[in-house]
Amino acid sequence: MKRVSALASVFLLILALVGLVLAGPGSAQPKTELTVALSSFSTEVLDPPLGGHLVKYYLSMMFDYLVGTTPDGQPSRDGGLATRWENSPDFKRWTFYLRKGVKFHNGDEVTSEDVKFSITRNIGKRSTTGYAGPLRTLIQDIETPAPDRVVIVTKEPTLIIPTYLSRSLSTEGMITPKKYIESVGDDVFARKPIGSGPYKFVEQVTGSHIKLAAVDSHWRIGTPKYKTMMFRLVPEEATRIALLRRGEVDVADVSRERVKELEKEGFPLHYRREEAILTMWWILGPDGRVGPTKDKRVREALNLALDRAEIAQSIFGGKAEPAAIPLGLSWSFKDVGFKQTPDMLYPYDPGRAKKLLADAGVGSGFNLDIYAYQLPGLPEGKTLAEAVAGYWEKLGIKTRLIPVDYPAFRKAWFDRSTPGMVGYFNIANRDWIGAYALLEKQAYSASKPSDTVNDAEIDGMLAQVMRQTDKEKINALMRGVYGRLRSEHLGVPVVYLHSPYATSKTLGTWNVGSVMYDLFFDVLASGK
Amino acid sequence: MLRFIAARLLQSLVALVIISVVVFALARATGDPLYLILPMSASQEDFDNARRYLGLDRPYVEQYLSFVGRAVTGDFGTSLRARRPVGELIGERLPNSLKLAAFAMGVSLAMAFPLGIMAAVKKGTALDRTAQIVSVLGQSLPTFWVAILLVEFVAGRWQWLPAGGIGGFTSYILPGFTLGWFVVAGLMRLLRSGMLEVLDSEYVKLARVKGVDERRVIWMHALRNALIPVVTFAGIYFAILVTTAIVVETVFAWPGLGRLAYEGISSRDFPVIQAVVLTTAAIVAVVNLCVDCLYAMIDPRIRYAR
Amino acid sequence: MPAEPTALAGPEPDMVAVRTSRAWRLPVFPLSVIAIFLALAVVAPLLGLPDPHEQSLRRRFKPPGWEEAGSWTHPLGTDRLGRDLLSRIVWGSRVSIAAGVVTVLLASAFGAAVGLAAGYYGGRVDAVLMRITDATMSFPVILLALILAVTAGPSFTNVVVAIAVVLWARYARVVRGQVLTLMQLDFVAQARIAGAGAWRIITRHLLPNTLGTLLVLVTLQIGYVIIVEASLSFLGAGIPPPTPAWGSMIAEGRDVVTSAWWVSLFPGLAILLVVLAFNLLGDWLRDTFDPKLRQL
Repeated sequence: MKRVSALASVFLLILALVGLVLAGPGSAQPKTELTVALSSFSTEVLDPPLGGHLVKYYLSMMFDYLVGTTPDGQPSRDGGLATRWENSPDFKRWTFYLRKGVKFHNGDEVTSEDVKFSITRNIGKRSTTGYAGPLRTLIQDIETPAPDRVVIVTKEPTLIIPTYLSRSLSTEGMITPKKYIESVGDDVFARKPIGSGPYKFVEQVTGSHIKLAAVDSHWRIGTPKYKTMMFRLVPEEATRIALLRRGEVDVADVSRERVKELEKEGFPLHYRREEAILTMWWILGPDGRVGPTKDKRVREALNLALDRAEIAQSIFGGKAEPAAIPLGLSWSFKDVGFKQTPDMLYPYDPGRAKKLLADAGVGSGFNLDIYAYQLPGLPEGKTLAEAVAGYWEKLGIKTRLIPVDYPAFRKAWFDRSTPGMVGYFNIANRDWIGAYALLEKQAYSASKPSDTVNDAEIDGMLAQVMRQTDKEKINALMRGVYGRLRSEHLGVPVVYLHSPYATSKTLGTWNVGSVMYDLFFDVLASGK
Repeated sequence: MLRFIAARLLQSLVALVIISVVVFALARATGDPLYLILPMSASQEDFDNARRYLGLDRPYVEQYLSFVGRAVTGDFGTSLRARRPVGELIGERLPNSLKLAAFAMGVSLAMAFPLGIMAAVKKGTALDRTAQIVSVLGQSLPTFWVAILLVEFVAGRWQWLPAGGIGGFTSYILPGFTLGWFVVAGLMRLLRSGMLEVLDSEYVKLARVKGVDERRVIWMHALRNALIPVVTFAGIYFAILVTTAIVVETVFAWPGLGRLAYEGISSRDFPVIQAVVLTTAAIVAVVNLCVDCLYAMIDPRIRYAR
Repeated sequence: MPAEPTALAGPEPDMVAVRTSRAWRLPVFPLSVIAIFLALAVVAPLLGLPDPHEQSLRRRFKPPGWEEAGSWTHPLGTDRLGRDLLSRIVWGSRVSIAAGVVTVLLASAFGAAVGLAAGYYGGRVDAVLMRITDATMSFPVILLALILAVTAGPSFTNVVVAIAVVLWARYARVVRGQVLTLMQLDFVAQARIAGAGAWRIITRHLLPNTLGTLLVLVTLQIGYVIIVEASLSFLGAGIPPPTPAWGSMIAEGRDVVTSAWWVSLFPGLAILLVVLAFNLLGDWLRDTFDPKLRQL
């Protein structure tokens, strides 16, 4: 006994000692690498037409866009390949003047041929990006009159072309190398992508990390401050925070729950304020709304029953603001001149809610099923569903929680197989064009099956927006849509979520920006 | 003997075929991956196109046969989510799982040996009890809780060890320990009972009476007797470690097979689900086969048991 | 006509091979723990505890009574929705223990049946049944449970079914092994000669002699199932809210494991005690019946 256990103990001791020696007190990260730990990559395909409709943190560093944006989402001439652009008087021809001397990572020059190729490819049949469909219907042709000029010809007059091809939305405007892709094919390109951005692709291990290396100098950010960028996938929060504490990562997305703890320890926290609106809706039936929620009073009652301030304070740790407009993407309000007045906020009034239910004839309650699931950026999803169920129960409604994961919910939503049931999403906030695109999906009947609103007046207003070229008229229509969404209680807006990103203490200034699904590392990595 | 191996091999193959059918059906029952791949704006036409492009519109039998046909050549299809050959994805992740499992096995054995031997030699005393409780403790705590506590305190607060991700030697310690502790109890029991069997036997009593050195008794006879089942069961436990490490992989951000399966199921990625389940089943089958052969070599009666 | 041979000369093995050394020293600790929790589970409705489903966001994450910010109305504190933790732990004992027991009973009943049939009939029946058993044994439990949860939604039933569907194979193998040994003994042949049919032999002679092993396995596996359910909750496939279940309570509390430590700690202790008790009890049972049952 003695000999064996003595040996084993010595072995364990050595193991421990080696471990301590090798670990050291928080192995310091070489300052030349920026490491970002994310809770989800959502899609790990590095090919713009296949990867962009969600997270594009790393794609934005590898590729350039036709049209750039400022950190707060405004089109900018400095951040994109196009130094300026202009439209024809009839708004059907958009001419973009390209920057000269931009090279892809393999040395090829970026020309208008590449732009034409990229856009065509990005909106093609194979594409899974969010705005490929509308662009396909809209774009008639792309002309390349000169190596530094691209003209996009549309079938109908429109204002949306520059924004749809910019960084503020998705990846349709990402420029990819024509010669390279044509020679190696799509599959090889997806595994060894080449772009013209400040960072080039080094390696990817799915489920683990993506590594990028800086180019020597780039027109977007000068000489990049960090030689390499490492994006790590770390699903578990405790681990992300431990990595931050150990100095192994510089940036980590953290949940609102743990913000106080990190603040106490002195970790800088950057917030993307109102990064998303958490909004709930009722699944429609094949022909529209079914059940008690057909009645406007019931919809209002369900809204009045929630104590949004308490929800924001407790479930979201104070890192949320009560929301008033269903599907109300607040980053677009200023663009379209929409003012959210205090009376638009729903008060917490269960008494009045009960009365409304009684007026509508369902005072004795009814059944309401709520799907409960978590989402990236919303770890509190299930808690929220439970809390909301609790508030509605107090009105005498019989709630039931149906646990699913997001794909299952999405299927039920699109299939319209369970009309009347409640679902929710944390919809990423965006500018007015993005907001319009979203409303066109979720508030427009003809967009079955994703529609959640089914209101004829709103349909009419949205249909006009796409064809409008007068910004004033567009603004008025958008204001009308938001107003009606609220006045008819066509959903249950809960809160605007602020998303915290914790950084290491030595990181420096960083404007996290308010561009959808993009963390704007340009500023951080800028050598200018 | 060869006959035995051949027969067992055939049996394993049959089992794998059964599993392939089951997992094929199960994977398709999970739902529709297109809802995740295609954006919200996708029209019915987009859905149909995608379905055709991915081969999901063929009749099930045809899909199954095509799947099996290619699987036999090692081609597991293309991941619907990552758009890369599934074989490649598995190739990336399997070694990580194997390495972690091997380390965990090492930790497990390093703990089970002293505990098991101590328990056997000091049978019935408080030390015996303690050893049993320490090992059983590993099976009595939810793995993810142990993992998270270790990450929070050992890695995050005290900063003794890395928190996650696959890296150098030290990055194996926490996940390896978490994973290994779970099987310590089983191994310890085997060691203990194996040794007790010998220590209580007539042969050893005789040896003691004859005045043979106590340590020789323990080392030479008891331990050797205990080692056989431990070795064979270590094999099975290893297979279990590889295939059930999903919780540990999630907490420690370890890019292994378990995590691949989880991602596959979450995104309804049929080819990935099918491939991972088949791979893990194959691993278990191979290990079982080796174990049975080992047993057959040791105990010839088993070969002829019908 | 010869009488039904109930007490034969040929050696019918004792059901309990009692080892004199430790047999009658009952394992007090495990038995008392199990008894206490079973009692709690049974009398839960009568204890006058607060409603485990009643939420109040204002009372969220209140610490246990002995802490400064806590109060004795919630002796163990409250969880993320302001629900009383003590109440949820007591009510959760019903769910978690039921999950363990039901799963294991289902798995063992089915598995024993398969093992008995395979061992008794032999030949093709055995071959087919064992192939299916092998296939089942190599299917990873957690993956199957995840698939089921994603397909049919997580629920108590799905958790039980998912685990039982893989677990039975263990029992089948072990029982079959035992039956094979038993079949070599005289008494079976003698029973046959005396005209006993398959059913009689299986139920009267074979099954009783496997009960000891089954009991050991069952006891050891109850703890295992409770732990697996906890892991499934962590992955989102366990018993869903708002039902109180220890596994999901620990999983829910994992983001506040240092700030609101009580949310995970107390259900964790409950699982630890109960599973430890079942494991120790199983160990003792095994030692009592036959320490040679090493493969368990």
